[in-house]
Amino acid sequence: MKFSKRGAALLATGIAGAMVLSACGGGSSSGGGGESGSSGQGRVVFGESTDFPENLFPYIAAGNATSVANLLIRVLPGPYVVEPDFSVKWDQDLLASEPELDTSGGGQVNTYVINPDAVWSDGTPITAEDFEFTWRANRSSDPADGGCASLLGTTGYEQIASVEAGDDDKTVTVTYSTPFSDWQSLFGNLLPAHLMDNEDPVALCDTITNGWPIADGIVGDISAGPWQIKKENIDVGGQIVVLTPNPEWWGEPTGLAQLVVQNIGNDPTTAVQGIQSGELGVIYPQPQLDLVDQIQGLEPNVSSDVTFGLSFEHLDFNTTYGPLSELAVRQAFTMALDRQEIVDQTVGQFSSDATVLENRIYFNNQPQYQDTAPDEYKTKNTALAKQTLEGAGWVLGSDGVYAKNGQRLTVQIDTTANNPLRQTTIEVMIPQLAEAGIEATFNANPDIFAGADKPTSLEAGGFQAAVFAWVGSPFRGATQSIYEQPQGDAIGQNYSRQGTQEIDDLFAQFQVEPDPDKQAELGNQIDALLWGQVATVPLYQKPTFIAYQSSISNVEDNSTQAGPLWNSETWTVQ
Amino acid sequence: MFFFTIRRVIASVFVLLASSFLVFALCAASFDPLSKYYTQNPRPPESFFNNLREQLGLNDNFFVRYWRWLSGVVTGNFGETINGTPVSEQLPGRLMVTGRMILLAIIIAVILAVVVGVIGAVRQYKPSDYAFTFLAYLLIALPTFWFAAILKEFVAGGVNDVFGKQVLYTIGEETPGLSLYASGWELWSDRLGHLVLPTVSLALLSFAAWSRFQRSAMLDVLGSDYMRLARAKGLPYRRVVMKHGLRNALIPLTTVVALGIGTLFGGAVITEQVFVWHGMGEYLLQDGIGQNDINVVLGWLLVSAVFVVVFNLVADVLYAVLDPRIRLS
Repeated sequence: MKFSKRGAALLATGIAGAMVLSACGGGSSSGGGGESGSSGQGRVVFGESTDFPENLFPYIAAGNATSVANLLIRVLPGPYVVEPDFSVKWDQDLLASEPELDTSGGGQVNTYVINPDAVWSDGTPITAEDFEFTWRANRSSDPADGGCASLLGTTGYEQIASVEAGDDDKTVTVTYSTPFSDWQSLFGNLLPAHLMDNEDPVALCDTITNGWPIADGIVGDISAGPWQIKKENIDVGGQIVVLTPNPEWWGEPTGLAQLVVQNIGNDPTTAVQGIQSGELGVIYPQPQLDLVDQIQGLEPNVSSDVTFGLSFEHLDFNTTYGPLSELAVRQAFTMALDRQEIVDQTVGQFSSDATVLENRIYFNNQPQYQDTAPDEYKTKNTALAKQTLEGAGWVLGSDGVYAKNGQRLTVQIDTTANNPLRQTTIEVMIPQLAEAGIEATFNANPDIFAGADKPTSLEAGGFQAAVFAWVGSPFRGATQSIYEQPQGDAIGQNYSRQGTQEIDDLFAQFQVEPDPDKQAELGNQIDALLWGQVATVPLYQKPTFIAYQSSISNVEDNSTQAGPLWNSETWTVQ
Repeated sequence: MFFFTIRRVIASVFVLLASSFLVFALCAASFDPLSKYYTQNPRPPESFFNNLREQLGLNDNFFVRYWRWLSGVVTGNFGETINGTPVSEQLPGRLMVTGRMILLAIIIAVILAVVVGVIGAVRQYKPSDYAFTFLAYLLIALPTFWFAAILKEFVAGGVNDVFGKQVLYTIGEETPGLSLYASGWELWSDRLGHLVLPTVSLALLSFAAWSRFQRSAMLDVLGSDYMRLARAKGLPYRRVVMKHGLRNALIPLTTVVALGIGTLFGGAVITEQVFVWHGMGEYLLQDGIGQNDINVVLGWLLVSAVFVVVFNLVADVLYAVLDPRIRLS
């Protein structure tokens, strides 16, 4: 009797303790939620798989995160929207008409007309001043020039001579000092001049460097899109951000009352179980085979889609490494590869839409894409590979491996550690190369992306060949630093350390050609020349994977930098 | 006792110093916080890299960097993360999350371990003993991630099916954003529903090993002379077992539990990962090692090490309190 009384007391203590413990859970206080605004019904939880941001300011290192881009895509819009089919369309909410491009006299002037209804969420009209400020904030990274060294990049902005109001403050005239072909990529997240501007460049740089620490939210809780991120709706401890409708939004109202972005980490099991139990509405995890299978097993309650995005895997040869400095060896290496087989064994497992990528500048699904690969590289051609090697003086040894001047043709292919997709890629290559008398080995290199002080990094050039990915955007001018000739130690991102003057000259034109058709022609010409050098071999685009409860409508993957939330204002839930 | 404590604390400071130096050296040698920017396309300008190197102090000599960190720590400044947030602002929240998760788990685990251990010892080689032994070894043998995943898959799913609505949750501390529109019982039950599975998973796995300690300690005590004497004096069996036996048999368990709490604070790493609780374990893995962030790793190390040291000390002191034969001097 005595014992059971004690037991009851213990039980009571336990329950009370649990209640106290659960009550002291963090989380912001109640109030200021979905009731604001007339628009939207219901809520959807988006499971964010990338790291929770520490800073929301997109133009500095601390805010340079996929999670920030996802949060801001419909909060701080820009003049152009990248559609799921990789096409670039002008934003019909922010702007009143399609921006104009004037290239008369060899210069470049763009005119934007802002929607007369466009206002910031505090009621201040969006004007040319905001464009001017966004440019000035991103113009230069040199403090001596009034710039700010914290900026992640100044590409494009540095080529602008002036940003001025036109006939009225809703018209923006952007004049370039040198033409910039990817001008549509600029002003991607418009900044609020009335909350951030400072005449003193040093003070402005402090503002930029400080950014928008996540605990403080965006300055003034400002928004110019359908969603708003209020400071009180950010739960840093719980890694949750709740987006609510922007009360001043002038476009179509949001379909939901709340869009909850919850960080769930990159564990695929969590994502699957979360969507299975209904705790998560939409997930966007890194695709892995068993993950895709499990999610597809949840149909029809859960819908999912595999798309091929803007990042591509490729093989890089280090042309300063003995054998690979010979063009013939690189050619033979490429001929010996069965890239279709590589695709079949890797991304082909996710979707039958997977194809071999035959272009480094453009992606399979871009309208500019052309298959520029010469025929000898299209399919595996072991005989031709051997012939090419023998033509260059290589002799097949008794061990089945070619050698020249006592040096055997062995290549170690490096890649990132713990990446099954890349490991499979290389493991499929090895026997193909062995058939052609090239001995290849696999090496997981933890320092592959480290700085030049790590001898085996790409930067330092201490590798022989490497498989890794470039993450791109539809604006392809950025690829220049990958394929331009190295200038001494300044290799840019040209880790294969190979290039020609012809390619450099074409790239120079590519950067300043505002006409999209002519630019596409130049891009494909460049790629054809890159095939001539075969310092890099494109392999395949990486897939992205979206899954969502079938009760949520209008979810559509956008595998570009616009991300899965690109159209989240149109989502509705039954 | 006082001098013993002081001596232990001073010794611990040296242990902390040595371990922080070692970890700092390892991190400094292997971390490159700039690495994620080299392959960013377009590549950030050189001035960006120089600025970041300067800001993170990467240009300085290793000893200068360590000294800067150490002198900061003495004044309560744990440095900033590579993204500019003070580590000292992040640690308390993380600690709370982990603390909340393990506190309840430890209470449950200790109660269960004592009850099961005592029953196992008193009814040695009876069916109940075999059953508990089997259960304990099963739980000890189960990897944490698997056990947690099974709880999520079957227990959460099953319970929710039985109730016909979501009762148990598998992600986070509360339904995200719930506190924006709910309060009172709804919020409480939601948080409780989130707390159950991680707690059960941690509690059962800790309980399994602890119950074995308790059982063997109890067996030792039950066979001792003073127990026989107590029975001979005519005391009732239950009183002898509970008062004379259990109290003495608790001593070894105290040590084990105190040591366990210390290490658990370092991070119930896997449990946090599986249930997406943003605590100390996740802090080390994702924010620290994942981001190549030396200050985060060191901050984690310091807090965890302090907990290990403190609970070691608690174990020693409790030992003396529980066993009057031990005198610390």
